[in-house]
Amino acid sequence: MLSNLEYRLNFLVDAIVQPTLSTIVEIVLWTSIFAGAGLSAIGGFGKEYYIAYALCATFLSRISSSWMYEFRMIQEIESGTINSLIVRPMSFYEYYLSQLLGYKFITTVISLTIPLSVFLVYKLPFHWDRLPISLLMVFYYLILVHSMSFVVSCFAFFLNRIQGITSAKNLGLWLLSGELFPLDLLPEPLKTIMIQLPFANAVYVPTGYITGRIGFEYIKSGFVSITVGIIVVNLIGYFFWRRGLKAYVGTGA
Amino acid sequence: MSFIIRTENLSRIYQTYKKPEGVMNSLKGFWQRQYIEKAALKNVNLEIESGKIIGLIGANGAGKTTLLKILSGLITPSSGSASVLGFNPWERDYRYLRKISLLLGQKNQLWWDISPLDSFSLLARIYDLDPKKAANRVQELAKLLKCTHVLETQLRRLSLGERMKMELIGALLHEPEVLFLDEPTIGLDIVAQSTIREFLATYVKERKTTVILTSHYMDDIAKLADQLLLISRGEIVYNGTVKHFITKTSIKQQVVVVLEQIPESDIALSLGRQLTSGQKEHSFEIENNELPKLISEISANGKIQDLKVVEANFEDVIRHFLETESRVL
Repeated sequence: MLSNLEYRLNFLVDAIVQPTLSTIVEIVLWTSIFAGAGLSAIGGFGKEYYIAYALCATFLSRISSSWMYEFRMIQEIESGTINSLIVRPMSFYEYYLSQLLGYKFITTVISLTIPLSVFLVYKLPFHWDRLPISLLMVFYYLILVHSMSFVVSCFAFFLNRIQGITSAKNLGLWLLSGELFPLDLLPEPLKTIMIQLPFANAVYVPTGYITGRIGFEYIKSGFVSITVGIIVVNLIGYFFWRRGLKAYVGTGA
Repeated sequence: MSFIIRTENLSRIYQTYKKPEGVMNSLKGFWQRQYIEKAALKNVNLEIESGKIIGLIGANGAGKTTLLKILSGLITPSSGSASVLGFNPWERDYRYLRKISLLLGQKNQLWWDISPLDSFSLLARIYDLDPKKAANRVQELAKLLKCTHVLETQLRRLSLGERMKMELIGALLHEPEVLFLDEPTIGLDIVAQSTIREFLATYVKERKTTVILTSHYMDDIAKLADQLLLISRGEIVYNGTVKHFITKTSIKQQVVVVLEQIPESDIALSLGRQLTSGQKEHSFEIENNELPKLISEISANGKIQDLKVVEANFEDVIRHFLETESRVL
C-alpha cells in the first residue's frame, strides 16, 4: 500500500476522479434512456431503481476487481523479481492479498463518499442498514478474486506473456457479476444458475440487497458460495504453485 | 570439522526449445516443437565448512548461479540432494529461510518505490524481528557502509552503489548464518567495490557468517575467499584455497634480474634462455618451480644486483587454467 500511496496523482485518480466520472455518466445515461423511451418503468423497475443499481454496481465492481495486482503478480514471475519473495519467509499469495485488501480498503473509504452523496441528494432507493454487510461480502469476494489472480499468475511459470488470460477472465467475471445488467432480468433457469455462482456476489447480490431488489437469503447463500469458490480455487492454485516452482528457473538472475 | 553445506550428485538440466526463423516455423512450433536440454550442473558433490567465505567462479553459463540458486532454495534440482544448515533448501522451510539470505547483484530485492527505511521495517516484520533492534541494526550497518544519508531517499532515486549498499543491509538485517552473494559488486565503481569488499571482510570475520560468493571481479575472490570453487560446464573442477590454486596452476611468473656487470657476449642458459650482451636488466618467464635453478644459473655467470618476481595475476591464472583445460564455454 505504501508503494501506491507514493504516487499521489495515481491514487487520487483511482479514489476520486474515476468514481466521480462514472457517477455522472450513469446518471446522465439512465436519465436519457428513460426520457428517450418515454416510459416510467422498464422490467417493473423505475428510473430511480436503475440509477441506484447502476451507481451501486459500478462502485462495487470497481472494488471487486483486481486486474492491477494480477498484472503485477504475473510480471513478478515473468521478470524474475519473485526471486526476492521466494527466498524470504513469506507467502506470495498472502503478500499480494494484503496489498490488495489494504489498497481496496483505503480507496473504498474515500471513494464511497461520492455515490453515497448522490443517493442522499437524489433520494434514490437505498437501505443504509444493509451497507456494512454488503461491503463485507464484497471484501470477502475479493479473496476469491485474488485466488483466481493467483491461479492465473501461476501460469506465468510455464508460459510467457499471459496477460491475455487476465483480460479474458475479467470479461467473463464482468458478465457473470451482474455489473452489465441486473441478473434478475435473465430468463430461468439461467438466472438461478448465474445467481448461485459465487461471481454474482461481486455486484448483483450486494447491489440488489442494498437497493432492496432482493432479500437477506441471497446474502447468506452468497457467503456460502464464495467460501466454496475460495476453497476450490485455492486447491487449484496450490497445485499450480507447487508445479510452477518446480519448473521455475529463477529468471533473470 | 563441521560442514554446513553438503551436496550429493546435484544436477540441474534446463529445457528450452528451438526457435527457427520465420512465421511458418513459428506456426510449426505449435505442433512440432523441438526441445533442447542443457545440463547446467552435473553431479556436483560439495562439503563446505561454516564461517568461511567461498568464492565460486567460472565462465558465463558455467553453472555457478544455478548452484547458488539451488542452495538458496530458489530453484529445484533435476536430481541429487543437498543439505544446508540441515535443511533441504528447495523445500523452503521458513525456519531455513530465516537463517539465510540471497543477494542477487543484478536484481533489486528491496521495494523500488519506497525508502530503504520503509523496506527495512517491512523486512523486520517478515523476519519477526524486534522493531527497535532492527532499527538499531540498520543504523549500525549503514554507518559501516557509509550510507546513513540515503536511508530516507526513495530507492529508485539512489545510485547503483548506494542501492547495492541498501541491498546488503536488507540481506544482513536478520543476521543470516549463510549468505549467498551473486555478483554483489557488478557494475560498481572502484570506490564502491572496495567499500563493499572491506565491509564484507570485516563483517564475516566478526560474525562468522558463511558466505558463498560469485563474482566476475577476481579481486573480490582473491581478497575475500578462504576457499575457491572453480566451476566449468556444470562441474566443480577445483576445490581448495586460492593460494594453492595459484601454486598448482602452471602459469608462468615473470622474473626480472639486474646484474652488477653487463655481459660482454650472449651467455646461454638452460631451456633456450640467455643473458643478452650489452643489457643490465634481463627478463624471464618461468614456471613456478624453475626459480631456484634460474637463479643459480645466473649467479654462476655474474653477480645479481637486484631480483624482482612478479606474481601471476589471479585473473590471468583463472583464465589460463580454463583455457588450458579447454573448458571455457
